[in-house]
Amino acid sequence: MSNRLNREIETPAEKQNRHKAMEAITVLNTLKESFKEPPKAMGYFYDLFEEVYCHQKALHSDKVKVGTMCIQIPSEIIYALDGVPIRLCNGFYTDDEIGSDLLPQKSCPLVKASVGHLASKNITDRPDMIYSPTTCDQKTKAGSTIEGFGYDVVDVDFPRTKESEISREFFRRSIRGFSADLSAKTGKKLSRKKLRASISKIGYAQSLYHQLSELRKSSAVPILGNDMFLVTNAFFFDRIDSWIEATEALVEELEQRAKEKVHAAGRVSPRIVYTGSPPIFPNYKIPLIIEESDAIIVADETCSSNRMFNDRVAVDEWFVNDMIDSLADKYLKACTCPVFTKNDDRIRRIIELVKSHNADGVIYQAFAGCTVYELEQRSVLEAMEKEGISILYIESDYSPSQHGQLSTRVEAFVESLKIKNRKRR
Amino acid sequence: MKRKVKDLINNMNLAKVRFWIQLVSFILFVYGGYFAVDLGSKLPIFACPYNAQSGGACYLMPLQHQLAMPAKILLGGAGIAVLFGVLTFLFWFIFLNKAWCGYVCPFGTFQDWLTALRKSLGIRYSTYTQQQFEKLSKIKYIFLAIVLMVPLLIGVGVLGGEWSSAFCQICPARIISPMFSGDFSQWAIDFSTKTAMVLTAIGMIFAGLFLAGSFVKKRFFCFFCPMSALHFIFARSSIVKLRKEGSKCTRCGDCYSVCDMQIKDIADDVTSTDILRDDCILCLKCVAACPEDDALHFDILNLKAFSSTRQGFEKRMGIEKPKGDRDE
Repeated sequence: MSNRLNREIETPAEKQNRHKAMEAITVLNTLKESFKEPPKAMGYFYDLFEEVYCHQKALHSDKVKVGTMCIQIPSEIIYALDGVPIRLCNGFYTDDEIGSDLLPQKSCPLVKASVGHLASKNITDRPDMIYSPTTCDQKTKAGSTIEGFGYDVVDVDFPRTKESEISREFFRRSIRGFSADLSAKTGKKLSRKKLRASISKIGYAQSLYHQLSELRKSSAVPILGNDMFLVTNAFFFDRIDSWIEATEALVEELEQRAKEKVHAAGRVSPRIVYTGSPPIFPNYKIPLIIEESDAIIVADETCSSNRMFNDRVAVDEWFVNDMIDSLADKYLKACTCPVFTKNDDRIRRIIELVKSHNADGVIYQAFAGCTVYELEQRSVLEAMEKEGISILYIESDYSPSQHGQLSTRVEAFVESLKIKNRKRR
Repeated sequence: MKRKVKDLINNMNLAKVRFWIQLVSFILFVYGGYFAVDLGSKLPIFACPYNAQSGGACYLMPLQHQLAMPAKILLGGAGIAVLFGVLTFLFWFIFLNKAWCGYVCPFGTFQDWLTALRKSLGIRYSTYTQQQFEKLSKIKYIFLAIVLMVPLLIGVGVLGGEWSSAFCQICPARIISPMFSGDFSQWAIDFSTKTAMVLTAIGMIFAGLFLAGSFVKKRFFCFFCPMSALHFIFARSSIVKLRKEGSKCTRCGDCYSVCDMQIKDIADDVTSTDILRDDCILCLKCVAACPEDDALHFDILNLKAFSSTRQGFEKRMGIEKPKGDRDE
């Protein structure tokens, strides 16, 4: 009886954290235990996600934390101004449910979860300011909702046409404006030396990703797609130097595995290129179903992973403005986000990935409510059909339901790829 | 072995290699006379014959002289001489194509040195807007028309002899090139006839514009160069090509941001395989700045001589493991 009286009642924040920890640990345990032995170097990433999402460990208490709503805000500039970029895209169902009360029911779960997370004010590394590039409608409007929670939200103008010279010039100006604003807020000057060093640092991080990507091209793929998502997702919030160190160790181990022909999946597991709405931890719902169905994700075309790392920055004369212009070009011109008027680049990229990674098929996942990906699926499906590439389109959300139905579809697709491969052989 | 040589070439520091080739070419073409070098007067570069020590000369001057012959003679036996001149010019051009501009032309090299001076002073270059670029880029065809039409008009008697080598009169190379061997005599306005006065005065203005323009804008004069226009007319006949594999291009714009000539197609066009444009100087900076394996390559006789590679890109951009100041 007395025990019952002394029991402390859980606060809403504690309840939220408990639910999130359960979501996070479920995914981490699946990754650690349900597949063949994961690379030892993945241990760093499993621990990192557990510390941050299960134990609410803050990583950047001593730094200016710059929240970004999309990948179009150059992290190079944030690091050069001694800040830390924290990408606010969220993958928790717990936060999605909070966001559902604030946004229309049919909104994208990623946006709902991001808004819900910020609305709860229960944030370990709370951003000191938020930059919101005007990419899709929902992210753009979410910016103003978030402002209502007391955050300093600055819109960063982003054009929706990328072919025109006007757009290029527009975004270059926009990024100049962003760096001036951040420089004023942090009280730091954007120096040539620092910006060059941070371009080099991010460039190095990208080179590590490219090395991993090369390894995934071989017939024995040494790492699961889900583990790769974890590595790239960690880049959203981790300390950059620690991330680099951990990824270096991973590259080294995977090179060894590649030499020994260690395959993370089975010998006949179909190779998948994953595209569509971004898998953000812990919402690895579809990627997990794919790899649990005995397929392996060898490459992806999503903004939370391969797209974020793929394109590089080249500068001719290392002056601040030159560097900023090159950065702006990279974040606009190379971007294959479906928010743009045309999507030829995205289609070209998917086809290129299928060819370079010798993939058997493409799985295109769109969040119900993620209008741009939903709108674009038809043209991508048509293009793949023309190329003779098998593709499966799936609509999903963050809810833990629908698992049976989704896995049935994915399994059937994977099985069809296996049959195709068998026939070919 | 083959792989190693290929990697060595693809990963080279292009800027350095180019600097030395340009320096040697500059000495050869500006001071060649001192070493008794004479590569003839049909060269596809601005090695100006007004410089007495030139080791070879620009084709535009003999072309103007030959075209200025009376029509009857030109259409008769002399036509063969003109044809021979064009063929000699083509002979040179087939080898290096527009790389003559990017690696050999002393006038181009001089502009790169002015750029280096500006850079060392910490001043940023200026650029044209795309509309300005499109308009200005046409001027070279107007100059080419002057090179070709004025002598023909002299030949048919419409213009007098004072119009002889009209383009050379307005060309800044006539005034600037001799300076390198200590000859400043071209810095003057010729008052002998009204036409000469106007033409040489324009020449002086152009020389001034050239010096100021090249300081603030990379390869300022190359936008207007009639030789570049002439090159482009024969570009298809060359054994060297600048090629692009659109499927590998991500349109990141890296090649465009390093392009001295602001050629937008280099980044945006993913359908053309032959990506050489009329303003291109084949300096290959775009290939060196491209991070995608083989998306851009420089071909000799359809073999890849210099290709864009991820590794080469990282080396040239100074991307390396960060040292010191860890963020923890």
